[in-house]
Amino acid sequence: MIIADGLTKRYGERVALDHVSFEVQPGMVTGFLGPNGAGKSTTMRLIVGLDRASEGGVTVNGKRYADHRAPLREVGVLLDAKAVHRGRSAYDHLLAMGATHGIGAKRVKEVIALTGLESVAKKRVGGFSLGMGQRLGIAAALLGDPATLILDEPVNGLDPEGVVWVRTLARHLAREGRTVFLSSHLMSEMAQTADHIIVLGRGRVIADESVETILARAKGDGVRVRTPHASSLTPLLQGQGITVTGTAADLLEVHGLPASRIGELAASSGVVLHELTPLSGSLEDAYMSLTQDEVEYRDTSVPDAAAVSTDTQKEAVR
Amino acid sequence: MSTATAPARLTSHASLSHLTFAGLLRSEWIKLRSLRSTFWCFALIFVLNIGFAALIAAQDLTGGASQGPADAAAGEAGMSAATTAVTLGINFTVLIAAVLGALVITGEYGTGMIKSTFTADPRRLGALLGKALVFGVVTFIVGLVSLIVASLVATPLLDSSSNISIDWSDGTFWLALVGGAGFLALAGLISYFLGAIIRSSAGGIAAGIGLLFVVPIVLSIFTGLTNAKWAANVAAFTPSNAGGLMYGYGAGKAGITDGIVSLDQGLGFLVMIGWVVVTGILAVILVKRRDA
Repeated sequence: MIIADGLTKRYGERVALDHVSFEVQPGMVTGFLGPNGAGKSTTMRLIVGLDRASEGGVTVNGKRYADHRAPLREVGVLLDAKAVHRGRSAYDHLLAMGATHGIGAKRVKEVIALTGLESVAKKRVGGFSLGMGQRLGIAAALLGDPATLILDEPVNGLDPEGVVWVRTLARHLAREGRTVFLSSHLMSEMAQTADHIIVLGRGRVIADESVETILARAKGDGVRVRTPHASSLTPLLQGQGITVTGTAADLLEVHGLPASRIGELAASSGVVLHELTPLSGSLEDAYMSLTQDEVEYRDTSVPDAAAVSTDTQKEAVR
Repeated sequence: MSTATAPARLTSHASLSHLTFAGLLRSEWIKLRSLRSTFWCFALIFVLNIGFAALIAAQDLTGGASQGPADAAAGEAGMSAATTAVTLGINFTVLIAAVLGALVITGEYGTGMIKSTFTADPRRLGALLGKALVFGVVTFIVGLVSLIVASLVATPLLDSSSNISIDWSDGTFWLALVGGAGFLALAGLISYFLGAIIRSSAGGIAAGIGLLFVVPIVLSIFTGLTNAKWAANVAAFTPSNAGGLMYGYGAGKAGITDGIVSLDQGLGFLVMIGWVVVTGILAVILVKRRDA
């Protein structure tokens, strides 16, 4: 269990984190989402005491990280796949990390096997690919068999197989009753892994809810209808609380009427349909709408980047 | 295997091993021995100390002056010359110790390893001092062993070149060897703490080398040009001048004559300790306070 209370971090004038409070519960995977520069990594560094909070505090299992007798056994952390000396072998790196806590070669070999690094364990880390570095970082996080895992962008640089592996591992660790806190800037990835999601935007918590809640909110009720007789179908559909918008000559988007009813109405008046697709807003859309005001590094020459990109997409459809 | 509905209670870690200073020392030893650069730096210190000793010992150190009977050369002057021959390499190998001292800490900052180190020891003090201790002890041992081997290698050479035989029961000679190894370790540690303060390899090495080599030269040129006594006195307390007394044969007489301070072997050692303590305290304060 991680509890952040009013966590604030200032770098000179810039406020990286602005009174961030949240709880990360054990027994589930909690996703930490936000655009680049939102403060996800800073938050994770503050949890393990690598950075000092300007205000507020954060505890892991009731204590500040530095106050634990065996920090590596409480919290396993992957902050940066590059937090390793390039001249050292993966095995020696893990051995040196473990030695601080009296964790020996046996456990080191276990985590090497668990992360699939056997074939490269004795090679120098400098020659590792990003994916192998990521696996080594995860191996280091698992070294102390900790009850809490903090993984910053764990799937970054992994191949599809590796992505599935991290997802399975995270879910497995959570099922064992551990607290699993992982960050990503990809909502789609989080949706498949996390049970609960905390969204950060420009140093503030802008959402803190279960994946189901976010999914339910994201579900749209629109239906896409493709028909050569758009002009004759439109008046048939219109009614109380129903909107019909023509996005192209043969394409309609209908809101407020289920696909089945549209099909029945079209059949009853002999209108030919080429397509009838219920639309559901993606999680990505929900996330984009949550964070579109919170993007830190927006191109200021374009007033509304999101709107422009939507227009471009429509252009492509036409 | 537990199920999703009833998460297993994880076993308490209270009974398992935890973070200890002994563990940090073991960790730092593993780190030191698992980098090739460290090995080569120590190997170079070893080889150069012996090589220089052999080179000097092969020369005629009596300066061509007739020493009379052989036992006269076995006296204090002979042992002093032998000590100079055996320890001469330190003037150069201290450079390697300083570079290595800076590298063992700045290498961690440069690669990001420091983040792993400080998550394992979030209070940081144990890791910083543990690393210093391991590096200092290893440097001292490498230095001492290399100086003893250098003396052994020099023995037959000194005998044939200068008719000097090393008296292994001479405590003053041993003190110079121990002092030489100690100087290497302490100079390396000053550089280590400067590296911890500066955090970049280039900066750390520059600061270490600058303090050891450049500052004394600048002060000596300044003193030569201006005859300023204060500059000469400051120069006496620089690590290379004060520490240099550590490996002289009964080096120096402490005192002040005409406003010029001079140190002896013991004071030279204390000045070196002072440098290590001051840079060490500064490093500890900064490392504990800064974001890693």
